[in-house]
Amino acid sequence: MRRRKVKITPLDLFVVLLLVGAGLYLAYRMKVGLHYKWKWGVIPQYLFRFDQENNKWVANLLMQGLFTTIRLSVWATILATILGTVMGLFRVSQSLFKRLTGRTYVELIRNLPPLVLIFIFYFFVSDQIMPVLGVDEFVRSRSESTQAVLTFLFAPPSLFTAFLSALITLAVFEAAYITEIVRAGIQSIEKGQWEASYALGLSWWQQMRYIVLPQAMQRILPPLAGQLISTIKDSAVVSIISIPELTFQGMELMSATYLTFECWITIGVLYLILTLSLSLAVERLEIYMRRSEA
Amino acid sequence: MQEKTLGDYIITVDGISKTFPNGVCALCDFTTKIRRREVVVVIGPSGSGKSTFLRCLNGLEDIDSGSIVIDGIPLDDNKKNRLEIRKEVGMVFQLFNLFPHMTVLENVNLAQRLVRKKTKEGARQATMDLLNKVGMPEKATSYPSQLSGGQQQRVAIARALAMMPKIMLFDEATSALDPEMIGEVLDVMKTLAREGMTMVVVTHEMGFAREVSDRVIFIEEGRIVEEGTAEHFFTNPREERTKLFLSQIL
Repeated sequence: MRRRKVKITPLDLFVVLLLVGAGLYLAYRMKVGLHYKWKWGVIPQYLFRFDQENNKWVANLLMQGLFTTIRLSVWATILATILGTVMGLFRVSQSLFKRLTGRTYVELIRNLPPLVLIFIFYFFVSDQIMPVLGVDEFVRSRSESTQAVLTFLFAPPSLFTAFLSALITLAVFEAAYITEIVRAGIQSIEKGQWEASYALGLSWWQQMRYIVLPQAMQRILPPLAGQLISTIKDSAVVSIISIPELTFQGMELMSATYLTFECWITIGVLYLILTLSLSLAVERLEIYMRRSEA
Repeated sequence: MQEKTLGDYIITVDGISKTFPNGVCALCDFTTKIRRREVVVVIGPSGSGKSTFLRCLNGLEDIDSGSIVIDGIPLDDNKKNRLEIRKEVGMVFQLFNLFPHMTVLENVNLAQRLVRKKTKEGARQATMDLLNKVGMPEKATSYPSQLSGGQQQRVAIARALAMMPKIMLFDEATSALDPEMIGEVLDVMKTLAREGMTMVVVTHEMGFAREVSDRVIFIEEGRIVEEGTAEHFFTNPREERTKLFLSQIL
């Protein structure tokens, strides 16, 4: 890639000076106007603490929250990708019923505030569906080692049902966006590809499976990875239903310590570490994809 | 060109009409019959309906009225009939439409494996024979993007032939090619014609029409204006419209 020459104009200098000035003023206001005693020293112990019994460092409140957020996001993205692909195929299906189903799903989910959706959906799933499936008894009746694996992958038995409900809710929410990504990917494939495979006698599903989807995958992958980042951010809304993910842990910590700024700045940084590193990875992926296209 | 005997009617098109959503009549009460082993060249100004006619023959376009029968099978809403016709009718497109994510070998193998249910080895053998026929056996492992336009079109012909079709449709197969590559594709088409393939060819290549066609059809505004041998078209076309068109393209 050709590197563009950096040119600095007087306007750039002016803007930079303005920003520096604003920053300095903000610092000054915080010093004199904001009567706040910073206690950053309190925060690290909530990230990791020293376990006296086992004589080792273990993750505390905030890191546990971060891990829950990661678990939630990864599983939700996987689940949402499956559901989104099915719904995306529905959206481009030849059957009117399937197209309507896909469209209704997407429009319903995308046009509701996520919070409202979570309230409706979560209580329905956790109150009605989970007991019928008997998830709780299932997890509690497992052996200790199985439970340990389940705890590592999902959540401890006491929270398992709630976690699963939140996971499904989040996945259903994200899948609506993935549906549109998949639909756009499929529709971006040239008409000639369909026509050529049609003329060769392939069935609709064979055309989709062997010709269109493999090519669409290349175009779908980068925005799909981007959706994972969105899922991480969106996962914060499930704090409202008491899933101990990062934002929920932050609220807990705040109500215990009253360290509003320290607490939320730390949480913000943790989210940034997660999402920014993924953003960079996605950027890499996009560059890589473009290279194989040329 | 040595005389060949034409067979029975393999394509029967009876009074088909097709109107586009904008109200333009692409085909108006269009009737023609094509015999086995016949090579028919369809000419006409752009937008005259010649490509639409071709695309109707394998069901790529639906007709509003009339009927099409291919080798005894009616082209109707019955999915089985349509599939049978798609298997028997090969098509070559203006823009090649090779599958870019597959090698040449995989492009030609695909339908043999999926539709004809051939074994891997059987398909590969047939593919290599076909690639020999179109003169590019050494490109089997290349991807379409590594080939020139002429090479891509020859692979596309091999891909269509791999289904062992009874009829081949060519939709402006040489229009998107650089001039120096047109010859290599036309040569493959001429060979096919001499081997007795039934062909319907939409083209502007009058040399091809003169050399191998049994009949030329001139279409305008969805109707047949004039039809006859290539010789007839070049020596004494009847209609004024035909004369004007030929003077423009020759």
